Amino acid sequence: MRGSYGEDVSDEALLSGVAVGDDRAVLAFVRRYQRRLFGLALGIVGDPGMAEDVAQEAFIRILRHASVFDARRGSVATWTLTITRNLAIDAVRVRRPIPTAPEDRVFLELVSEERSPVDAAVMSDAVSRARSALDLLPVEQRRAIVLAVMYGRTIAEVATLEEIPLGTAKSRVRLGMAKLREAIAIMEAP
Amino acid sequence: MNRPPEGPQNCEALSEDLIEFALGTLSGRSRSLVLDHLESCPQCVAELESLATVADTMLWLAPEAEPPLGFETRLVERLREGDVHRATARRRRISVLAAAAVLVAALGFGVAAITTDRGNVTPPSATARPATGLLTSHGRALGQVSISSGNPSWMVMTVDAGTWTGVVWCEVTLSNGHTETVGKFTLASGYGSWVAPLKSSASQVRSARLVDSNGDVIASAILD
Repeated sequence: MRGSYGEDVSDEALLSGVAVGDDRAVLAFVRRYQRRLFGLALGIVGDPGMAEDVAQEAFIRILRHASVFDARRGSVATWTLTITRNLAIDAVRVRRPIPTAPEDRVFLELVSEERSPVDAAVMSDAVSRARSALDLLPVEQRRAIVLAVMYGRTIAEVATLEEIPLGTAKSRVRLGMAKLREAIAIMEAP
Repeated sequence: MNRPPEGPQNCEALSEDLIEFALGTLSGRSRSLVLDHLESCPQCVAELESLATVADTMLWLAPEAEPPLGFETRLVERLREGDVHRATARRRRISVLAAAAVLVAALGFGVAAITTDRGNVTPPSATARPATGLLTSHGRALGQVSISSGNPSWMVMTVDAGTWTGVVWCEVTLSNGHTETVGKFTLASGYGSWVAPLKSSASQVRSARLVDSNGDVIASAILD
């Protein structure tokens, strides 16, 4: 995209352009985020057609509500990812009311102990930070966190899917969240 | 509804629900209790924001993927179609809102006796005012609720909840803690507006809420 919405333009500035109805800003925003939103949706729903529906619905919501975005409550990137995640989880629940364990490549990779050096080399700062924090957790907490945070499973569903008592699932999610919070705080400290 | 005690004990009792709330997986009554508690507990609001930051950070773990060919074109088409539908819905909403406002005024102030298919109804007293409340979700206004004071009491609800389309249920919480389901209706492109009689009297109603098919509370309103 050439012109006033190049790659150096901040997300917030781009969204401001969207909010005032600038079509170039809409296109630039879609091009900037489509791979990330589609990737997140695909990871959760597992089906490319359904993932496209989810990603498109997410874009429609984001673009329509650009004017009410409040930068004090978080970044544009976080906002867009959260909207996409919630839509993807809703879509999965409608299609599969009884939750199943995710078996996709994304899930298996996230809970795996092994890391690809190639992947690590191309990670952005935000991805790298999230990955490093997750890697600090024991595998069982990592699985519980990924199921709950990424795949929107309730703690009761985590217990069922992992075949563990509810109290154990609660502990894993609670301890996992506490460790992640501590790790993220240390990484973000000046 | 049996509410947990207020104060630090309540914070501890709700701490696990707060995690699920931050992850977006808490529903039903537990979600309502957390929402109620958050209104008066800045410590838990801060804790929630901290937990939400962790959850948001983890979303970056999903790898990017190239969307199917034509993704952009189809999105632009949907945006254009939506603009047309939205303009139509907005016009319809304005006319429904106007009608609803007239109805609330008539019901709330007893301008005339009203007859429905349930038979004759008692008009409210001339001094009675309709109970009203703002429908909100996470501090964002999504609509309005008004309940007339006659017999039966009538609820008028208008909703503008983004672009969501689907069936929702409206419930009211009464002063005795019981919940009354008022009815279900459909939001189209985020918009909905409807009128329904209540089994309970307006004076018994403390709050109203919209619930989706999963039991998740979409928005709630305190009536006064």
